[in-house]
Amino acid sequence: MGPLAVNDIISSNTNFFLAFVIGIGFGFVLEQCGFSSSRKLAGLFYGYDMVVLKVFFTGGVTAMLGLLFFSLFGWVDLNLVYINPTFLTSAIVGGLIMGAGFIMGGFCPGTSFCGAAIGKIDAMIFIVGLFIGVYFFAFGYPMFETLYKSGAMGSPKISTMLDLSDGVFALILVAVALGMFYVSEWVEKKFPREEY
Amino acid sequence: MKPLHYLTLVLLILALIIALVPQNTTRPYKLSAEQLLAEIRTGTQFVIPDEVADKIIQKDPSIQLIDVRNPREFDMFSLPGAINIPLQDILSEGNVEILNQGTKMNIFYSNGSTEANEAWLLTRQLGYQNNYVLQGGLNYWMETILNPTKPGSGASSDEIARYDFRKAASMALGGGDVSASAAPVSASSSSTPKPGVVPVKKKKKASGGC
Repeated sequence: MGPLAVNDIISSNTNFFLAFVIGIGFGFVLEQCGFSSSRKLAGLFYGYDMVVLKVFFTGGVTAMLGLLFFSLFGWVDLNLVYINPTFLTSAIVGGLIMGAGFIMGGFCPGTSFCGAAIGKIDAMIFIVGLFIGVYFFAFGYPMFETLYKSGAMGSPKISTMLDLSDGVFALILVAVALGMFYVSEWVEKKFPREEY
Repeated sequence: MKPLHYLTLVLLILALIIALVPQNTTRPYKLSAEQLLAEIRTGTQFVIPDEVADKIIQKDPSIQLIDVRNPREFDMFSLPGAINIPLQDILSEGNVEILNQGTKMNIFYSNGSTEANEAWLLTRQLGYQNNYVLQGGLNYWMETILNPTKPGSGASSDEIARYDFRKAASMALGGGDVSASAAPVSASSSSTPKPGVVPVKKKKKASGGC
């Protein structure tokens, strides 16, 4: 039956409304997990707090297994699920810029709005910076266009590229994620930091 | 047991299951066999030739005639404004935008009504709406619209009115002689079998992580 919006089971207005509700839920959970503190994100870089990695990998792995099971039960047609197209070069460059921004600013776009919502001034300044970046990119788009569109690969799936079934790739990814969880537990013990 | 161990256990079990079961590649059907049978029995998919003729003459923009015969037959004769989607191409990707939409009334036709019905059956099963079938196909169209038979002298006023309409429609649609193919096939439809519908990419953006 799913995805709901593509199959016209829900209207696009309902879709926006659901996105709004989910967004509020997402922000609430981020705040409750302490992500509105810039030390959480910086902790990932310095190794004293790996919760960001754990949360996002758990989220990704859960969503992946959920979608695969939904597809198995016939609840979701995976062919209709939108996959963001991959632009390899710009993804790498963008990832580096964004990563550097994470370390320097201590926020990612989502957590900066969480921080601003509870009145953190550093988060508000981060948002100002974010908008400067957005405008710089938007108005300077002709400058960046070649880079932006380089390395276009369509919407590939790693499982197809490796010639594995989605299920087997999911198992591998889960194993990798779990391995990372155990490593991050070890890293947290290795670089402890009291009171942050 | 630590929470991480629980998580490990649950994720690994689920991932093992998903790795071992075969992938589900079937597309879910929208209607059960019973529902489809009910629709077929009531014949809701049929549009009578008079209605179609009326819409063609009025240049009703809300209808789209779709010829499901092969291109050769389509070139020889087609209804005005019709586009050609041969039955074997009915499932091809490029036609989805034409067949699965909510604004126009698609009317399939073939020589009889069998092929058109098959096209309707397929699209109906995919959950597409607004697809209909020209009742009786082109054969019946010739009989009723292009070469209507004059009702006998004892005919009711309804029958006579219908005959008058068909006679007029026949003239408007260039009836009388089929081989002349005088049907005012619009230039766009005869030169380009596919319509100018630009397949719009589904824009369901899933924006990123955080």
